[in-house]
Amino acid sequence: MSGNPYQDDHGNHDASITNRSGGGHMDSAPGSAAKMHTGDAFLIGDSMTGGYGKTGPDILHNCTIAVNKGEIAVIVGPNGAGKSTAMKATFGMLNLRQGAVRLDGEDITDLSPQDRVVKGMGFVPQTSNIFTSMTVEENLEMGAFIRRDDYRDTMAQVYDLFPILKEKRRQAAGELSGGQRQQVAVGRALMTQPKVLLLDEPTAGVSPIVMDELFDRIIEVARTGISILMVEQNARQALEIADKGYVLVQGANAHTGTGKDLLADPEVRQSFLGG
Amino acid sequence: MDLLNAFVALSNFVLVPAIAYGSQLALGALGVTLIYGILRFSNFAHGDTMAFGTMVVVLVTWLFQSWGISLGPLPTALLALPFGIAGCAALVLLTDRTVYRFYRAQKAKPVILVIVSMGVMFIMNALVRIILGTNEQNFADGERFIIGAREFKKLTGLNEGLAIKTTQGITVITAVIVVALLFWFLNRTRTGKSMRAYSDNEDLALLSGIDPERVVVITWVIVAALATVAGTLYGLDKSYKPFTYFLLLLPIFASAIVGGLGNPLGAIAGGFVIAFSEVTVTYAWKKVLGYLMPESLEPDGLVQLMSTDYKFAVSFAILLVVLLFKPTGLFKGKSV
Amino acid sequence: MSDTTRKIGLFALVGALIVLTGLMQSWNSALQILNMGLISAIMALGVNLQWGFAGLFNVGVMGFVALGGLATVLVATDPVPEAWKAGGPGILIALLMGAGTIVLASAAYRKLPKGAVRTLALLAILIVGFLAYRWVFDPSVEAVEAINPAAQGNLGGLGLPVLLAWPVGGVLAAGAAWIIGKTALGLRSDYLAIATLGIAEIIIAIMKNEDWLARGVKNVIGLPRPVPYEIDLQESASFVEKATSLGLDPTTASTLWVKGLYAVLFTVVLLVILWMAQMALHSPWGRMMRAIRDNETAAEAMGKDVTRRHLQIFILGSAVCGIAGAMMTTLDGQLTPGTYQPLRFTFLIWVMVIVGGSGNNLGAVLGGFLIWFLWVQVEPIGLWLMELITSGMADGALKTHLLDSAAHMRLLTMGLVLLLVLRFSPRGLIPEK
Repeated sequence: MSGNPYQDDHGNHDASITNRSGGGHMDSAPGSAAKMHTGDAFLIGDSMTGGYGKTGPDILHNCTIAVNKGEIAVIVGPNGAGKSTAMKATFGMLNLRQGAVRLDGEDITDLSPQDRVVKGMGFVPQTSNIFTSMTVEENLEMGAFIRRDDYRDTMAQVYDLFPILKEKRRQAAGELSGGQRQQVAVGRALMTQPKVLLLDEPTAGVSPIVMDELFDRIIEVARTGISILMVEQNARQALEIADKGYVLVQGANAHTGTGKDLLADPEVRQSFLGG
Repeated sequence: MDLLNAFVALSNFVLVPAIAYGSQLALGALGVTLIYGILRFSNFAHGDTMAFGTMVVVLVTWLFQSWGISLGPLPTALLALPFGIAGCAALVLLTDRTVYRFYRAQKAKPVILVIVSMGVMFIMNALVRIILGTNEQNFADGERFIIGAREFKKLTGLNEGLAIKTTQGITVITAVIVVALLFWFLNRTRTGKSMRAYSDNEDLALLSGIDPERVVVITWVIVAALATVAGTLYGLDKSYKPFTYFLLLLPIFASAIVGGLGNPLGAIAGGFVIAFSEVTVTYAWKKVLGYLMPESLEPDGLVQLMSTDYKFAVSFAILLVVLLFKPTGLFKGKSV
Repeated sequence: MSDTTRKIGLFALVGALIVLTGLMQSWNSALQILNMGLISAIMALGVNLQWGFAGLFNVGVMGFVALGGLATVLVATDPVPEAWKAGGPGILIALLMGAGTIVLASAAYRKLPKGAVRTLALLAILIVGFLAYRWVFDPSVEAVEAINPAAQGNLGGLGLPVLLAWPVGGVLAAGAAWIIGKTALGLRSDYLAIATLGIAEIIIAIMKNEDWLARGVKNVIGLPRPVPYEIDLQESASFVEKATSLGLDPTTASTLWVKGLYAVLFTVVLLVILWMAQMALHSPWGRMMRAIRDNETAAEAMGKDVTRRHLQIFILGSAVCGIAGAMMTTLDGQLTPGTYQPLRFTFLIWVMVIVGGSGNNLGAVLGGFLIWFLWVQVEPIGLWLMELITSGMADGALKTHLLDSAAHMRLLTMGLVLLLVLRFSPRGLIPEK
């Protein structure tokens, strides 16, 4: 039995009375009160320690992740190293017991994810990252929901970046291929004109060719001045395009350096890149 | 000529009533499906929400009648409809504030909300009984028929008459207008799209800055409007008796599920599927067949497949067959 | 320890309420509440088995209860030989033909390759089967219903002792539950709630319309009893003597004695079912049920057939409701299909389970007693309140209306009680440990 009696459904899944699709699972984290030293990165998750929920065990241990303006930072590491967790922590989806998150020098540790979106962060979750029943264009419109100004220019830019989306803009996003769906997801996040974009394994489950294309697009996004922080399984390819790489092991920083440095580091090669 | 007579008889007894009933069910099912899509549970109180909205319409209609206000040939109830919608919306919003909102904050499982809606059902049911009693109430006025059976016979020279009640005509026209408005709203406006987005993927909707409480409030208002319109049309067409609205829950749920829960288009299709099957299976086909068959083969029984008391069984059988072959309903619903 | 005190306290409270009824109103009312409370507790136990231990959402309790009532008529009333001669075999053959059609159709569906041929064959089987069924069925029914329609017009029952009807009621309900569960639980995602909601209405529709079965809305009255009749007691010299020696007038004494006997019978049944439910749930089977409820994925991974277990518990719970239904009809002495209302027989039972404590058998029993007490007593209390409120008013339409509305207070109260318990004590009065 779960702790909260209102969340005890006695194992019922009767679809005729309860709708189990599309429900929300997101909990925003309250952050931590501790103040730490400031770096000069654009977005920095500084010495973060914490886990999911109020009582969950710590997953991150004094972990620091930062990305500079217009650069690509990549988090890699073995399974269960807390890569996604580290990124979600910077987006306010983790209970931080220690550490701080700063965006452009401003402390945002105590902001909810929604407020961070307003502050200029864009987040593309790994799964369920599009509105499958809505058209591509509607997905982009929903991405721009918080904007009250004219967002047609932004939409045109997204279409320029992902021409296939323009072609399919009247089609339901759920009907697209895996790679196209990821483009919709990134496009949706770009609609708020974020200053920094967080991507959680954007190439999960797509073919190598599509993966290369996606990486090309991500580089293009970075060139427009948007900082990118992403988590990747395909460590080698990701580090190749990374300005900065973080290797996490068990929720802590193991190696940090430029993408090239890490690719050249024999220890990193040995343990994470398969020689 | 016989063929024409058969068709007129069919229209008179099957097509016209089924279209009117189907429109009423479709409007009811739309309300259920919206709640299912956005609040993610099946609202057992929906039948009583319909009864409450209709009750307000009935009361305001009586008030207007006592003031001598009328719409001429049209029922006065149409004039009272906005008041009914407002009253019903006020009640469901109050319910949401005092009851449902707490469970949303707790992130309660949908099945807990289903049980909560049972409690709400008891209370709404009691409110209607306390305010208006349990008796049948008549509030229809104006012209009874758009075209009467006798006029039709005179007009066409056929043996069979076709009578279309004013209420049937109004039902269909109102339903078309309401459905068109709803679909325009859901597909064309920013708010409507944000509702669809919330229904599709709550987390992503939050990340996009959509305010869930606003979506919920708008959903309740729309549901109150749909329920009141559906209830009023049903009451005008048949008669208003609080208890029958409670019993409408089954065909309404059946319509929503047959069409695919959470899918508004499906709710409409489901409403008509259920209405047509109920009416055709429980209709005595003697007259129609009498025109179509050669005299020697004319049936001597009523040729009624099932007695009208089994109309629930028909809704249910259709529901079962659809679910067995298409578990997500005719239109792809969300219940996978 | 405080847990036990709480339980004892709550049950003592219910007991005190019933005793208070006896003192303030009459002992007859108190016993009546006790008897229906016992029956309600059994129904709540059945629903609690399904919801509390397996998360199965049964909103067709009314149907199973009604089937129990039907069993009473079919078991305990005397057969009508003329009716049997007139149409009995015809009806039986027709029903067999109907069942055969369905079996044949499902066989054809499984055996034939997918395509137009299968669809046509299926349609042909169903249409021919249906026509043949009606061709045999209709005249037989007409013949049966023509026999002495004022008092009979049905096939009658088996003329067996009425106590036998209780287990038979359970079996009938279990059979219906098997059919529903087999279809609704087997679907990719289950649709039990809507299926039970529908089947309950269908069962009631059948009982209202098939006059040959149990006279439909013409009702069956004067069902045999497992206890003596008051009138016989009043005529028995020894009983009158005993009553007067206790200082009671014989009429009151006879009604109390009869109700008391029912109470004893019902208590025995309740205790047996409660004991069985407790034993079952503390057995490996019960532990497995709860394991499935709390983590179905894990249970499935361990190779447990979840659907099968759910079907078992659904059938068991429904059977318990059927038994209670048969007991209720026996207590009433009549079967009146028109009185089966979902609010009273489905949703009220749900209130009992939720208020008592879902997942706890003792909680369900407590909920059964407490809610039944409220259901009965809210009306007089409401009326008394309304009289108090309106006492200053002049006689008129408003006053009459307000006084009339007191009758509907019980629904309002039930809703309020359910919402308050769900909000402030979501696990119920006696929570599952």
